[in-house]
Amino acid sequence: MHSTTSAEEDLADVERVLAGDSEAFAGIVRRWQGPLVNMAWRYCRDRQRAEDLAQEAFLRAWRGLAGWRRESSFSTWLFALAANVYRSELKRFPAVNVPFEEIHEPAMPATQYTATAEQRQQEALRRAVLALPIRYREPVVLYYFHEMDVAAAARTMGLPEGTMKARLAGGREMLRRRFPQLRDESGTATASTFKTGKEALR
Amino acid sequence: MNHKSDHEKEVEGIDRILASEEELVPSHGFLAAAMERVREEAATPPPIPFPWKRALPGMLPLVGAIGWAIYEAIASVPSQAGDFVLRLPSFSAAQMRSLEDAGWVAIALTASFCSWLVSRQLAGRSGLL
Repeated sequence: MHSTTSAEEDLADVERVLAGDSEAFAGIVRRWQGPLVNMAWRYCRDRQRAEDLAQEAFLRAWRGLAGWRRESSFSTWLFALAANVYRSELKRFPAVNVPFEEIHEPAMPATQYTATAEQRQQEALRRAVLALPIRYREPVVLYYFHEMDVAAAARTMGLPEGTMKARLAGGREMLRRRFPQLRDESGTATASTFKTGKEALR
Repeated sequence: MNHKSDHEKEVEGIDRILASEEELVPSHGFLAAAMERVREEAATPPPIPFPWKRALPGMLPLVGAIGWAIYEAIASVPSQAGDFVLRLPSFSAAQMRSLEDAGWVAIALTASFCSWLVSRQLAGRSGLL
């Protein structure tokens, strides 16, 4: 997702900030604002709140910059820090208060797929992710944010890959049971309009 | 022949939807707002560290007094608590009396020290110090 140039720039900016040039932090914000806002958006699905959460994450990153031990890449450290911020903030003020059991797949005729109905269904599924039990919610959010890369999601959460896979399977299974109409038949409207995660995030 | 089960197709459908999220572009003012918060934070003086050097002489007798109080509480528990016997160091009656006295002296000293600290702090706030 991010080039080695970005890693070098991150390192240079971190060095400058640690040397006392706080304006150098703007480079880090510029490069990472997109990913951090998008990550926050997946946690809360509220644009304004996503930006507030991302700002808070940047502020915590600025405060804790000296704590980055360089054993992991800057992005891994930043994502893990942001995930911690989002988790704790959303624990205080949850994004969705509807229990998972009360979320239903929108009704639509089996043969008639309209763009609106399809969009509604997609949005219902995305909101259902936020209503998953906390144990499954974050692995699901981070797995898709990291373009379906289990290892990256596990690093962000600080969990072993095996645990991440197990939680991910649990979360997806709950979603599958709640949304049985999402079967991906090649050629059906459900599948036709979607790009893969990597295409979409490129 | 590639026949996927319904289960697999459903999971793939979920994958396609959740992975195809549109990318959100941060608002124009995001960078400026984030940097503003950073600048505010940078301009704030660092928090005053806890004065361990000054507090330690006061805290040591306090810890001692608390330890003594715990010891006293345990020693005064009647021995009907089943078979469990807490082995405490044995002191003669004269030693016990002087230890008790020492405990009271420590408590009195700590209380005086605390009241001195509080009055000093109040005086400092009112601009007398």
